[in-house]
Amino acid sequence: MQAPDSIETILSRLMPPALSQGGQFEIDAMIDELAGPEREVVVPISAGKWMVRAVTGGGIAAAVAGLLALVPMSDGFPRSEAVKVAASVPEFMLVSESDRVESMTDEGWQEDLNGSAMHALRLVAVEENHVKDTESGMVMMISETREEILYSPINAF
Amino acid sequence: MESPANAWKQWLAENGPRLLLFARGWSNSRADAEDLVQEAILRMWHHQAEKGASPPDLPLVFSTIRFCGLNHHRSESRRRKREESVIYLNDFQDVWLDPVLEEDEEAIILREAVQNLSQKLREVVVMKFWGGLTFLQISETLAISPNTAASRYRYALEQLAHELRRVKKDRHASA
Repeated sequence: MQAPDSIETILSRLMPPALSQGGQFEIDAMIDELAGPEREVVVPISAGKWMVRAVTGGGIAAAVAGLLALVPMSDGFPRSEAVKVAASVPEFMLVSESDRVESMTDEGWQEDLNGSAMHALRLVAVEENHVKDTESGMVMMISETREEILYSPINAF
Repeated sequence: MESPANAWKQWLAENGPRLLLFARGWSNSRADAEDLVQEAILRMWHHQAEKGASPPDLPLVFSTIRFCGLNHHRSESRRRKREESVIYLNDFQDVWLDPVLEEDEEAIILREAVQNLSQKLREVVVMKFWGGLTFLQISETLAISPNTAASRYRYALEQLAHELRRVKKDRHASA
Protein backbone atom coordinates (compact mmCIF):
# COMPACT_ATOMS: atom_id res chain seq x y z
CA MET A 1 0.00 0.00 0.00
CA GLN A 2 1.20 3.48 -0.89
CA ALA A 3 1.96 5.37 2.33
CA PRO A 4 0.81 9.03 2.54
CA ASP A 5 4.35 10.33 2.99
CA SER A 6 5.48 8.78 -0.27
CA ILE A 7 2.57 10.55 -1.95
CA GLU A 8 3.97 13.83 -0.60
CA THR A 9 7.34 12.90 -2.06
CA ILE A 10 5.79 12.44 -5.47
CA LEU A 11 3.79 15.67 -5.08
CA SER A 12 7.03 17.51 -4.39
CA ARG A 13 8.09 16.59 -7.92
CA LEU A 14 5.24 18.72 -9.25
CA MET A 15 5.60 22.49 -9.41
CA PRO A 16 3.02 25.15 -10.27
CA PRO A 17 3.91 26.94 -13.49
CA ALA A 18 4.67 30.64 -13.44
CA LEU A 19 2.25 33.26 -14.67
CA SER A 20 2.37 33.66 -18.42
CA GLN A 21 4.52 36.48 -19.74
CA GLY A 22 1.42 38.37 -20.84
CA GLY A 23 -0.31 37.87 -17.51
CA GLN A 24 2.75 38.92 -15.55
CA PHE A 25 3.13 42.01 -17.74
CA GLU A 26 -0.50 43.01 -17.28
CA ILE A 27 -0.32 42.73 -13.51
CA ASP A 28 3.01 44.59 -13.37
CA ALA A 29 1.52 47.35 -15.52
CA MET A 30 -1.51 47.49 -13.24
CA ILE A 31 0.77 47.81 -10.19
CA ASP A 32 2.65 50.63 -11.91
CA GLU A 33 -0.62 52.36 -12.68
CA LEU A 34 -1.86 51.95 -9.12
CA ALA A 35 1.43 53.22 -7.73
CA GLY A 36 1.26 56.33 -9.90
CA PRO A 37 3.81 57.72 -12.33
CA GLU A 38 7.44 57.22 -11.45
CA ARG A 39 9.81 60.11 -11.80
CA GLU A 40 12.66 59.70 -14.21
CA VAL A 41 15.96 59.28 -12.46
CA VAL A 42 19.02 61.04 -13.78
CA VAL A 43 22.28 59.71 -12.45
CA PRO A 44 25.35 61.79 -13.15
CA ILE A 45 28.51 59.92 -14.02
CA SER A 46 30.68 62.51 -12.37
CA ALA A 47 29.34 64.13 -9.24
CA GLY A 48 31.78 67.00 -9.63
CA LYS A 49 30.17 68.15 -12.84
CA TRP A 50 26.89 68.62 -11.05
CA MET A 51 28.57 71.25 -8.95
CA VAL A 52 29.59 73.04 -12.13
CA ARG A 53 26.00 72.86 -13.36
CA ALA A 54 24.69 74.10 -10.07
CA VAL A 55 26.70 77.28 -10.19
CA THR A 56 26.07 78.07 -13.83
CA GLY A 57 22.49 79.24 -13.25
CA GLY A 58 23.15 82.31 -11.16
CA GLY A 59 26.89 82.23 -10.97
CA ILE A 60 28.10 82.35 -14.53
CA ALA A 61 29.43 85.85 -14.07
CA ALA A 62 31.22 84.81 -10.92
CA ALA A 63 32.74 81.85 -12.74
CA VAL A 64 33.92 84.10 -15.58
CA ALA A 65 35.33 86.55 -13.13
CA GLY A 66 37.16 83.76 -11.38
CA LEU A 67 38.58 82.63 -14.70
CA LEU A 68 39.70 86.09 -15.65
CA ALA A 69 41.14 86.62 -12.23
CA LEU A 70 43.64 83.90 -12.94
CA VAL A 71 44.75 85.31 -16.29
CA PRO A 72 46.12 88.64 -15.11
CA MET A 73 48.05 86.91 -12.36
CA SER A 74 49.83 84.77 -14.89
CA ASP A 75 50.68 87.91 -16.79
CA GLY A 76 52.38 89.37 -13.79
CA PHE A 77 49.59 91.56 -12.44
CA PRO A 78 49.69 92.08 -8.73
CA ARG A 79 47.18 90.16 -6.63
CA SER A 80 45.31 93.30 -5.70
CA GLU A 81 44.54 93.87 -9.38
CA ALA A 82 43.15 90.41 -9.68
CA VAL A 83 40.87 91.00 -6.74
CA LYS A 84 39.79 94.21 -8.37
CA VAL A 85 38.79 92.34 -11.55
CA ALA A 86 36.90 89.80 -9.51
CA ALA A 87 35.07 92.57 -7.76
CA SER A 88 33.96 94.00 -11.08
CA VAL A 89 31.73 91.00 -11.81
CA PRO A 90 28.63 93.07 -12.68
CA GLU A 91 30.46 94.33 -15.79
CA PHE A 92 29.90 90.94 -17.43
CA MET A 93 26.50 90.36 -18.96
CA LEU A 94 24.97 87.05 -19.86
CA VAL A 95 24.05 87.29 -23.52
CA SER A 96 22.69 83.84 -24.20
CA GLU A 97 22.60 80.37 -22.74
CA SER A 98 21.84 77.05 -24.29
CA ASP A 99 21.82 73.40 -23.27
CA ARG A 100 21.72 70.83 -26.04
CA VAL A 101 22.09 67.08 -26.40
CA GLU A 102 24.98 66.33 -28.69
CA SER A 103 24.75 62.57 -28.87
CA MET A 104 22.63 59.78 -27.44
CA THR A 105 23.44 56.09 -27.12
CA ASP A 106 20.97 53.38 -26.23
CA GLU A 107 22.49 51.36 -23.39
CA GLY A 108 19.65 48.81 -23.34
CA TRP A 109 18.11 47.45 -20.15
CA GLN A 110 19.96 47.90 -16.89
CA GLU A 111 19.21 47.44 -13.22
CA ASP A 112 18.74 50.48 -11.05
CA LEU A 113 19.73 50.64 -7.37
CA ASN A 114 16.49 48.85 -6.40
CA GLY A 115 17.18 46.01 -8.80
CA SER A 116 14.37 47.07 -11.15
CA ALA A 117 14.86 46.79 -14.87
CA MET A 118 15.24 50.21 -16.45
CA HIS A 119 15.87 51.45 -19.94
CA ALA A 120 19.18 53.35 -19.99
CA LEU A 121 20.15 56.13 -22.40
CA ARG A 122 23.66 57.58 -22.28
CA LEU A 123 23.71 61.13 -23.52
CA VAL A 124 26.35 63.78 -24.03
CA ALA A 125 25.01 67.27 -23.39
CA VAL A 126 26.73 70.59 -24.00
CA GLU A 127 25.86 73.68 -22.05
CA GLU A 128 27.01 76.95 -23.63
CA ASN A 129 26.84 80.44 -22.23
CA HIS A 130 27.84 83.64 -24.02
CA VAL A 131 29.03 86.39 -21.73
CA LYS A 132 29.81 89.97 -22.81
CA ASP A 133 32.36 92.18 -21.15
CA THR A 134 30.48 95.48 -21.14
CA GLU A 135 33.67 97.48 -20.85
CA SER A 136 35.57 96.00 -23.81
CA GLY A 137 32.57 94.68 -25.74
CA MET A 138 34.26 91.28 -26.00
CA VAL A 139 31.94 88.26 -26.00
CA MET A 140 33.21 85.06 -24.50
CA MET A 141 31.75 81.61 -24.76
CA ILE A 142 31.84 79.28 -21.78
CA SER A 143 31.16 75.72 -22.74
CA GLU A 144 30.76 72.65 -20.59
CA THR A 145 30.31 69.11 -21.87
CA ARG A 146 28.81 66.57 -19.55
CA GLU A 147 27.76 62.94 -19.80
CA GLU A 148 24.61 61.57 -18.20
CA ILE A 149 22.75 58.30 -18.02
CA LEU A 150 19.00 58.66 -18.18
CA TYR A 151 17.01 55.79 -16.68
CA SER A 152 13.35 55.34 -17.47
CA PRO A 153 11.04 52.53 -16.30
CA ILE A 154 10.60 49.94 -19.03
CA ASN A 155 6.99 49.18 -18.17
CA ALA A 156 5.62 52.68 -17.76
CA PHE A 157 4.29 53.57 -21.18
CA MET B 1 13.74 52.66 0.58
CA GLU B 2 12.08 50.28 -1.88
CA SER B 3 9.06 51.67 -3.72
CA PRO B 4 5.69 49.94 -3.14
CA ALA B 5 5.48 49.02 -6.82
CA ASN B 6 8.84 47.25 -6.72
CA ALA B 7 7.96 45.48 -3.47
CA TRP B 8 4.69 44.22 -4.96
CA LYS B 9 6.33 43.06 -8.16
CA GLN B 10 8.96 41.17 -6.21
CA TRP B 11 6.23 39.65 -4.06
CA LEU B 12 4.31 38.66 -7.19
CA ALA B 13 7.38 37.08 -8.78
CA GLU B 14 7.80 34.98 -5.64
CA ASN B 15 4.17 34.02 -5.09
CA GLY B 16 2.63 34.24 -8.56
CA PRO B 17 2.84 30.50 -9.35
CA ARG B 18 1.16 29.38 -6.11
CA LEU B 19 -1.57 32.00 -6.51
CA LEU B 20 -2.12 30.90 -10.09
CA LEU B 21 -2.37 27.26 -9.03
CA PHE B 22 -4.94 28.11 -6.38
CA ALA B 23 -6.88 30.26 -8.84
CA ARG B 24 -7.01 27.31 -11.26
CA GLY B 25 -9.41 25.63 -8.89
CA TRP B 26 -11.81 28.53 -9.36
CA SER B 27 -11.55 28.95 -13.10
CA ASN B 28 -11.76 26.90 -16.24
CA SER B 29 -8.67 27.96 -18.05
CA ARG B 30 -5.24 29.34 -17.36
CA ALA B 31 -6.24 32.73 -18.81
CA ASP B 32 -9.26 32.95 -16.51
CA ALA B 33 -7.07 32.00 -13.55
CA GLU B 34 -4.64 34.79 -14.37
CA ASP B 35 -7.56 37.23 -14.54
CA LEU B 36 -8.60 36.02 -11.12
CA VAL B 37 -5.12 36.56 -9.71
CA GLN B 38 -5.05 40.04 -11.21
CA GLU B 39 -8.44 40.91 -9.72
CA ALA B 40 -7.35 39.66 -6.32
CA ILE B 41 -4.15 41.72 -6.46
CA LEU B 42 -6.15 44.82 -7.38
CA ARG B 43 -8.42 44.28 -4.36
CA MET B 44 -5.41 43.61 -2.17
CA TRP B 45 -3.71 46.79 -3.31
CA HIS B 46 -6.64 48.91 -2.15
CA HIS B 47 -6.91 46.86 1.03
CA GLN B 48 -3.23 47.32 1.85
CA ALA B 49 -3.23 51.05 1.03
CA GLU B 50 -4.25 51.79 4.61
CA LYS B 51 -1.52 49.50 5.93
CA GLY B 52 1.53 51.15 4.44
CA ALA B 53 0.96 49.75 0.93
CA SER B 54 3.06 46.69 1.74
CA PRO B 55 2.37 43.38 -0.06
CA PRO B 56 -0.32 41.30 1.67
CA ASP B 57 -0.08 38.09 3.67
CA LEU B 58 -0.55 34.99 1.56
CA PRO B 59 -3.58 33.55 3.43
CA LEU B 60 -5.47 36.78 2.82
CA VAL B 61 -4.76 36.60 -0.90
CA PHE B 62 -5.96 32.99 -1.06
CA SER B 63 -9.17 34.12 0.63
CA THR B 64 -9.56 36.96 -1.85
CA ILE B 65 -8.99 34.70 -4.85
CA ARG B 66 -11.60 32.35 -3.43
CA PHE B 67 -14.03 35.23 -2.96
CA CYS B 68 -13.43 36.52 -6.48
CA GLY B 69 -13.81 32.99 -7.84
CA LEU B 70 -17.13 32.55 -6.08
CA ASN B 71 -18.37 35.84 -7.46
CA HIS B 72 -17.39 34.87 -10.96
CA HIS B 73 -19.12 31.53 -10.74
CA ARG B 74 -22.29 33.27 -9.69
CA SER B 75 -22.32 35.68 -12.57
CA GLU B 76 -24.03 34.98 -15.84
CA SER B 77 -21.04 36.06 -17.92
CA ARG B 78 -18.85 33.59 -16.10
CA ARG B 79 -21.29 30.83 -16.88
CA ARG B 80 -21.09 31.68 -20.58
CA LYS B 81 -17.31 31.77 -20.47
CA ARG B 82 -17.30 28.40 -18.73
CA GLU B 83 -19.33 26.88 -21.52
CA GLU B 84 -17.06 28.43 -24.13
CA SER B 85 -13.88 27.26 -22.45
CA VAL B 86 -14.62 23.53 -22.53
CA ILE B 87 -11.97 23.30 -25.20
CA TYR B 88 -9.34 24.35 -22.66
CA LEU B 89 -10.15 21.36 -20.46
CA ASN B 90 -9.29 19.05 -23.32
CA ASP B 91 -6.10 20.88 -24.16
CA PHE B 92 -3.18 18.79 -22.90
CA GLN B 93 -1.03 21.91 -22.66
CA ASP B 94 -3.37 23.51 -20.15
CA VAL B 95 -2.06 21.79 -17.03
CA TRP B 96 -2.07 22.98 -13.46
CA LEU B 97 1.27 21.54 -12.42
CA ASP B 98 4.51 20.76 -14.20
CA PRO B 99 6.58 17.68 -13.32
CA VAL B 100 10.13 18.59 -12.30
CA LEU B 101 11.48 15.49 -14.05
CA GLU B 102 10.62 14.45 -17.58
CA GLU B 103 8.53 11.31 -18.04
CA ASP B 104 7.81 11.06 -14.32
CA GLU B 105 4.88 8.67 -14.61
CA GLU B 106 3.83 8.82 -10.96
CA ALA B 107 3.97 12.62 -10.87
CA ILE B 108 1.87 12.89 -14.02
CA ILE B 109 -0.73 10.50 -12.60
CA LEU B 110 -0.91 12.54 -9.41
CA ARG B 111 -1.17 15.77 -11.39
CA GLU B 112 -4.37 14.49 -12.96
CA ALA B 113 -5.55 13.17 -9.62
CA VAL B 114 -5.03 16.52 -7.89
CA GLN B 115 -7.06 18.26 -10.56
CA ASN B 116 -9.85 15.72 -10.10
CA LEU B 117 -10.04 16.04 -6.31
CA SER B 118 -13.17 17.66 -4.97
CA GLN B 119 -12.94 21.40 -4.51
CA LYS B 120 -12.86 21.13 -0.69
CA LEU B 121 -9.97 18.70 -0.67
CA ARG B 122 -8.04 20.30 -3.49
CA GLU B 123 -8.05 23.73 -1.86
CA VAL B 124 -6.49 22.34 1.30
CA VAL B 125 -3.84 20.37 -0.59
CA VAL B 126 -2.89 23.34 -2.76
CA MET B 127 -2.69 25.77 0.15
CA LYS B 128 -0.80 23.31 2.35
CA PHE B 129 1.56 21.79 -0.15
CA TRP B 130 2.30 24.48 -2.72
CA GLY B 131 1.09 27.51 -0.76
CA GLY B 132 3.14 26.61 2.31
CA LEU B 133 0.32 27.57 4.69
CA THR B 134 -0.14 26.01 8.11
CA PHE B 135 -3.35 24.20 9.00
CA LEU B 136 -4.22 27.17 11.22
CA GLN B 137 -3.83 29.60 8.30
CA ILE B 138 -5.84 27.30 6.03
CA SER B 139 -8.57 27.05 8.64
CA GLU B 140 -8.77 30.86 8.81
CA THR B 141 -8.87 31.14 5.03
CA LEU B 142 -11.67 28.60 4.63
CA ALA B 143 -13.49 29.43 7.88
CA ILE B 144 -13.15 25.85 9.16
CA SER B 145 -11.41 24.40 12.20
CA PRO B 146 -7.71 23.48 12.01
CA ASN B 147 -8.66 19.86 12.71
CA THR B 148 -11.01 19.84 9.74
CA ALA B 149 -8.27 21.30 7.56
CA ALA B 150 -5.85 18.59 8.70
CA SER B 151 -8.46 15.87 8.17
CA ARG B 152 -9.21 17.06 4.66
CA TYR B 153 -5.50 17.03 3.87
CA ARG B 154 -5.04 13.47 5.10
CA TYR B 155 -8.15 12.34 3.28
CA ALA B 156 -6.94 14.00 0.08
CA LEU B 157 -3.58 12.21 0.32
CA GLU B 158 -5.38 8.89 0.81
CA GLN B 159 -7.48 9.55 -2.28
CA LEU B 160 -4.40 10.45 -4.28
CA ALA B 161 -2.64 7.28 -3.13
CA HIS B 162 -5.69 5.22 -4.07
CA GLU B 163 -5.86 6.82 -7.51
CA LEU B 164 -2.15 6.24 -8.08
CA ARG B 165 -2.49 2.54 -7.22
CA ARG B 166 -5.54 2.18 -9.41
CA VAL B 167 -4.00 3.78 -12.50
CA LYS B 168 -0.75 1.83 -12.14
CA LYS B 169 -2.65 -1.41 -11.72
CA ASP B 170 -4.72 -0.68 -14.85
CA ARG B 171 -1.59 0.08 -16.84
CA HIS B 172 0.13 -3.11 -15.71
CA ALA B 173 -2.95 -5.11 -16.61
CA SER B 174 -3.12 -3.65 -20.11
CA ALA B 175 0.65 -3.92 -20.70
